[in-house]
Amino acid sequence: MHSNPSPRRQARPKSTFLAAKTPTSTSPSNITSSNNPPPESTILFLYTNRPSVILGRNQNPYVEINLDLLRASNLKPDLVRRRSGGGTVFHDEGNVNYSVICPTKSFHRDKHAEMVVRALQKLNVEGVRVNERHDIVADRPHAIMPLKVSGSAYKLTRLRSLHHGTCLLNSSNLQLIGSMLKSPGKKYIEARGVESVSSPITNVDVQNEEFENAVVEEFGEMYESVEPIVVGEKEGEIPEIAEGMGVLKSDDWVYGETPQFTVNVFVEHPFKKVDGKMLKFSICLTARHGAITKIDASFEPSKVFEENATSIANLGEKLVGKKIHEIYGRGWEILLCRVLGPATKPDQELVVAAAMQLQEVLGTRDPEFRGFR
Amino acid sequence: MASIARKLRPVASRFATRSSASAASWRPSSFGLRAFSASRAAQVKKYTKDHEWVELSADGKTGHIGISEYAAHALGDVVYVELPTVPIEVAAGDSIGAVESVKSASDINSPISCTITAVNELLEEAPGTINKGPEDDSSAGGWVAKVEVAEVGIKDLEGLMDAEEYKEFVEE
Repeated sequence: MHSNPSPRRQARPKSTFLAAKTPTSTSPSNITSSNNPPPESTILFLYTNRPSVILGRNQNPYVEINLDLLRASNLKPDLVRRRSGGGTVFHDEGNVNYSVICPTKSFHRDKHAEMVVRALQKLNVEGVRVNERHDIVADRPHAIMPLKVSGSAYKLTRLRSLHHGTCLLNSSNLQLIGSMLKSPGKKYIEARGVESVSSPITNVDVQNEEFENAVVEEFGEMYESVEPIVVGEKEGEIPEIAEGMGVLKSDDWVYGETPQFTVNVFVEHPFKKVDGKMLKFSICLTARHGAITKIDASFEPSKVFEENATSIANLGEKLVGKKIHEIYGRGWEILLCRVLGPATKPDQELVVAAAMQLQEVLGTRDPEFRGFR
Repeated sequence: MASIARKLRPVASRFATRSSASAASWRPSSFGLRAFSASRAAQVKKYTKDHEWVELSADGKTGHIGISEYAAHALGDVVYVELPTVPIEVAAGDSIGAVESVKSASDINSPISCTITAVNELLEEAPGTINKGPEDDSSAGGWVAKVEVAEVGIKDLEGLMDAEEYKEFVEE
């Protein structure tokens, strides 16, 4: 936000260093709020999560994530929406995440990414640098393009700013990350908000503890009197921290904070014709805050549409206000067939096919029903 | 200034009717006078330390709020703006919206206590509009919301900075 002189020339402000060992989706904002640090302090927080997929503040889970794959995965990742901006990431025990909370006056987007780059260089990781997207990439001689090792995200408030980033050290799930962060529904959705920019990734092949020590050392070079506090699972039991962690994983926050989006599905009957024209069915729904605000359905040819106009008109009445993430498994099929009642008689296959497409787009296939596991 | 001049005319005409000594016509004009003096102070555009602005219209009861030129520049390219469902009553400092720019999430807070009566829907469809004219309250501008203020809101204005004070604040 502001240009900033080299930290070494400044009087070095007091700082705190927090380290967390494998808490469940701990967020730095939760930990630090309980300590009420003075506004002029700078805090480094290093943490490692169990497998988790973390959405940016203003993202759409249906666009970003293969929700069915996530739910079916043996890793059983947590799904979290963070408070900072940016794109979706996956963490596991092979990541160490860094987070720096500092006064907004001295905030600069690259400042602490550069700190991490210096730490990696000291660990003899070659070719690492901060790119124009404020991410850390590694230029590898054999790769056609730079490989991402760390992504940045920020939360800005008047007095305090937060910068955090992942760092891929030795994750054994690189393949999985790619498929989990690829939504089958993306092409059916038009969404407001922020879409991730996917990049090829790599590990830097450093052990977690080596990385933590190197980052703390660099942080100590920038700020004086580093006071380490080690945070563990126990701190997660502090009521206000437990509450904060619960919010970030709650459905109302993860799904309910989704920016407005529209889903379009369209199915054509493979052989059935009416008046010599192929029978078609389409649904268009809009959701705000994770709940349906508008839903339209249409049959082609128009004769079929007109015959079913009343039941189609009912659709909005029955479905507006419903939370999308609560329509689970065969829910779409049941809802559509029930509301469209008479329409489903001649064209049931078509309505069911559209419902199944919605299930796939919205990642609500229920493994119980579909034998998906 | 133009808005003050506009306000002057009806007041002046009411003064003229006073000479006809009709009590009935004096009453509304005394109300008009009070409104005039209150709105003169309120009509100055004010800024918060959070980089929001508020400007009341000539009526002293309605106005616009938005984020400052400085904030829009500091945030960088805005890619998403979320605004509240209206009408909604808010206190000074309450979050009324969210902005994302260059991977950074930040909140828009209400500069004063007020009722948000309308939001700039253009920002939800074309978020970049806020970068082009954050202090523009025209239909194509980057203003955030239309508001209605009561006495509390008018009082909140006193604690805010005028353009000159704000300029000094950001140059600090």
